[in-house]
Amino acid sequence: MIELDAVFKSFGKVRALDGVSFRVPDGRITGLLGPNGAGKTTALRVIYGVLEPDSGRATVDGHDATRDRAAAQRRLGVLPHAHGLYPRLTAREHLAYFGRLHGLDGPALDRRVEELVEELGLKDFADRRTDGFSQGQRLKVALARALVHAPRNVVFDEPTSGLDVAGTRAVRALLRRLRDEGRCVLFSSHIMQEVSALCDEVVVIAGGKVVASGSPDALREATGKDSLEDAFVAAIGSEEGLA
Amino acid sequence: MSHPALVVLQKEVRDNLRDRRAVTMALFFPLLGPVVLAMTLTLVSKQQRGSEEKPLALSVAGREHAPNLVAFLQSAGVVLEAAPADPERAVRAGDLDLVVVIPPEFGERLRAGRPAPVRLVIDDSRQSAHAATGRARRLLEGYGHQLGMQRLLARGVSPALTEGVALETVDLATPESRAALLLALLPYFVILAVFVGGMYIAIDATAGERERQSLEPLLLNPVPRWCHVAAKVSATALFASVALGETLIGFALVPLVLPIESLGFVIRLDPGMLVRVFLLALPLVLLVSSLQIVVAARARSFKAAQSSLSLLMMVPVLPGMMLAFVPVKLKLWMALVPTLGEQLVVARLLRGEVVPFLAVAPVMVGTALWAAVLFALGVRTFRGERIVFGA
Repeated sequence: MIELDAVFKSFGKVRALDGVSFRVPDGRITGLLGPNGAGKTTALRVIYGVLEPDSGRATVDGHDATRDRAAAQRRLGVLPHAHGLYPRLTAREHLAYFGRLHGLDGPALDRRVEELVEELGLKDFADRRTDGFSQGQRLKVALARALVHAPRNVVFDEPTSGLDVAGTRAVRALLRRLRDEGRCVLFSSHIMQEVSALCDEVVVIAGGKVVASGSPDALREATGKDSLEDAFVAAIGSEEGLA
Repeated sequence: MSHPALVVLQKEVRDNLRDRRAVTMALFFPLLGPVVLAMTLTLVSKQQRGSEEKPLALSVAGREHAPNLVAFLQSAGVVLEAAPADPERAVRAGDLDLVVVIPPEFGERLRAGRPAPVRLVIDDSRQSAHAATGRARRLLEGYGHQLGMQRLLARGVSPALTEGVALETVDLATPESRAALLLALLPYFVILAVFVGGMYIAIDATAGERERQSLEPLLLNPVPRWCHVAAKVSATALFASVALGETLIGFALVPLVLPIESLGFVIRLDPGMLVRVFLLALPLVLLVSSLQIVVAARARSFKAAQSSLSLLMMVPVLPGMMLAFVPVKLKLWMALVPTLGEQLVVARLLRGEVVPFLAVAPVMVGTALWAAVLFALGVRTFRGERIVFGA
């Protein structure tokens, strides 16, 4: 479970997060929806410990993401917005590298890498250097790398951006599977279709503030709109930056 | 389970060994010092042999006016060559280094007991002709001196009376100090190898990692940030040490290929001395690696890091240049200036001096302290939020 409690974060004069609080429960897919520049990536970066909040706190399974960063990161699998690979390493070497950084080694590491190669469909290019991989192949490696330690919580920042239909479907299937395994799944998006197709819970963020949250049904009810799309627009107060 | 710092170190080394540019830089650049040394030695020896040992060839115009002078030159081993029709033009055009012209009035003046003119046509701005000109001048003056002596003797006067001062030169230049200028450059090559060896891996592991957007995923692993710094500095230091060792082995091979002793100066390049230089430079390797990691991690981009580190490489040239032209004695404050202290000690070791441990210790300790400061700065940089986004 991931929790944010009254998180403030400013960059110079820009207030990126203005008292953000929300809860991401286990066994559910939670979508963080908001227009570009709403603070989605900043919120996720606070959760995975790259940014330190000015005040408030983020916790992962109760571990403070700032003060107890290593413990929080051990329970977290992350696909950051920027997920570059090492062009001179093979896909398999990427998984092994991150596995070892999580303390895996020997036969256990080999087994886990093999599992991921199988599950995420890396087989055809597992032993090729990643230089020259397609967008979809890159994403698969980055996802496998994020899941190498079988984390209880996963955070994906715009996981489908730049993917074709097949790639997008594969990512959605993966998110559902992770949920069905009882994990806590949080992903961000500015695409309403995606959020409505996938999410059990939605957190709508705009201007650094949470403007609405709950299940899609609850959201429709609260805003008095029939379609989820209208409900989002009503919650954010504008259509700008959504797709 | 291996320590995370070792995991990162192992990955950095493996990754960069696959980078042709990093490997080329680390393997070929360090040979520059030994190659320059070998080339300089070859050149110096050629020049020396060319000018001093070979018989002097002289073009003499108007030989018929001074048969005795010609005989004197021949007895001194000079090979006489045909003179050109226009001596001045031949020298100006560079066909000849110098031409001796004996005018027709030579014999007449000589018989009259007046100074007999001999003209030396040279181009003084031509460095390569200086040795030959000097030798010709000395021979001609010697002939004149000899004539004068004979005249005095014929008149019953002791030639010693004409020598008001007996000038005697005591040359204290040892063979070693004669090589001083060349030697002053060698310590710089040693320092340079340390800078170049790890340069690419330092950039790749920091600014490069950020530019290809792999830094953020890396920092999401439950690994303390100091481990990343320790691993990246170690990987850089490893490449730098290999480059340093290669430069020193190259220097050790030079005397085996070229006969240095026959040139009249001695450079100590035996294995024991080179091992000492290597050990002396180890704290410097850590300092330079930490510095490169800090600078590259704070750079805006791969390119910016590259130009910063190239500029950085020029800094130790300054003490090297100073050493080449001004002899400096090692003082304590110099020992504490990184690269300066090392260059001074390396210069003394190369000159064949015994450097007491008490003189070396402040240099190594001072550099190690600077390395520690820079390492701490590197950890601070990696702990900051800006490491992910660029400075």
